[in-house]
Amino acid sequence: MLSRTVLLSANALKSKGPIGAGLVQASHSLHTSSKSLAPVPPLPEKGGQVRHGIIPEELFQLLYPKTGVTGPYMLGTGLLCYLLSKEIYIINHETLSAASIGAVVIYAIKKFGPTVAAFADKLNEEKVLNAQAVKDVALVGLSQAIEEEKKEQWRAEGRSMLFDAKRNNVAMLLETNFRERIHMVTNEVKKRLDYQIAVQNLNRQMEQEHMVNWVEKSVVGSITPLQEKESIAKCISDLKALARAKASLAV
Amino acid sequence: MAGRRVALKAIDWVSFAERIPANQRSMFNALKTRSDAISAKLTSLPPTPVVIDWSHYKTAVAKAGMVDEFEKKFKALQIPEAVDTQTSVVTAQEAESNKNALAYVEESKARIAQYEATLAKLTNMIPFDQMTVEDLNDTFPETKLDKVKYPYWPHKPIAEL
Repeated sequence: MLSRTVLLSANALKSKGPIGAGLVQASHSLHTSSKSLAPVPPLPEKGGQVRHGIIPEELFQLLYPKTGVTGPYMLGTGLLCYLLSKEIYIINHETLSAASIGAVVIYAIKKFGPTVAAFADKLNEEKVLNAQAVKDVALVGLSQAIEEEKKEQWRAEGRSMLFDAKRNNVAMLLETNFRERIHMVTNEVKKRLDYQIAVQNLNRQMEQEHMVNWVEKSVVGSITPLQEKESIAKCISDLKALARAKASLAV
Repeated sequence: MAGRRVALKAIDWVSFAERIPANQRSMFNALKTRSDAISAKLTSLPPTPVVIDWSHYKTAVAKAGMVDEFEKKFKALQIPEAVDTQTSVVTAQEAESNKNALAYVEESKARIAQYEATLAKLTNMIPFDQMTVEDLNDTFPETKLDKVKYPYWPHKPIAEL
């Protein structure tokens, strides 16, 4: 009942979430019998309502149809008178002591109740926030992890390209090698034939030169001294004729 | 003689590059440069050899029969193709890699299933502010306090408070 006092006078309970929105696990500990599997109702948002700090509201609701608004108050007054007059409750010094302590307690609750309740709420709120933060981080991390795994699977699918590239390389190397061989053969054959032709040409050239030299030599040798004199005289006379012709022209 | 026409598979280097992870990029670059060098060398060589003009040589070379003999032998010559030893090796590597990849994919799928189960549990659980301590222990078994091992409050080693 004291907890109700604190809670009500504080009136600092923050609203925690929609009531009745959560579906509680079937195996809730409140259901002790094994047959019942209905969902347990969610935890109540506020404590029981009280009037004047200690008297539950349910009493007033109970008496309202029969005795109206003032019913419970009349009941309380009558009960108090009965207790005092019949001396079922005797007033003594402890009564005063109880009254003083009660006054102090009520004053303290009214003054410090809200702050204490807020503090307690904050503690709880922090716990819930921590748990929520952990859950959020976990959610994000998990979805990221799933994405990463899918990405890795996609990467692994591309492995055939590597081996295609390798096979291509091998084929290209073989083809290159084959082409080199063909070219080498052709070039060698060509070189041999060209060599033959070059040798032939060289032979012809040398023969030609030699023949020309020989003809020249024989011609020069065949010129006799008499022929030489005659040819020189002819040359001189020709030159003289030419000079005369030139001189006559100049004039 | 006939040139060998090998069916070279066209490789999409761009999409290949997309799929490799960062820690294998240097290997990929090495492979690419090697492949490019090889294909450059290949394209630099003409596929058919230079044609030898036999008629010209027949008239030019004086030695009788030499050109004819050369021509006959040349035409009869078969250039042996190099023996392909590596393709089988590559195919074996590919088979093993396929096996490994399938095993990895299976493991990866198991991991994904685990993650998804946890994800489902987290998304379907009741909000924290509507849980009791028993609900919390049910949803997250690791929060359950071992009252048998540590019978006295706080039911866990002081270091873990």
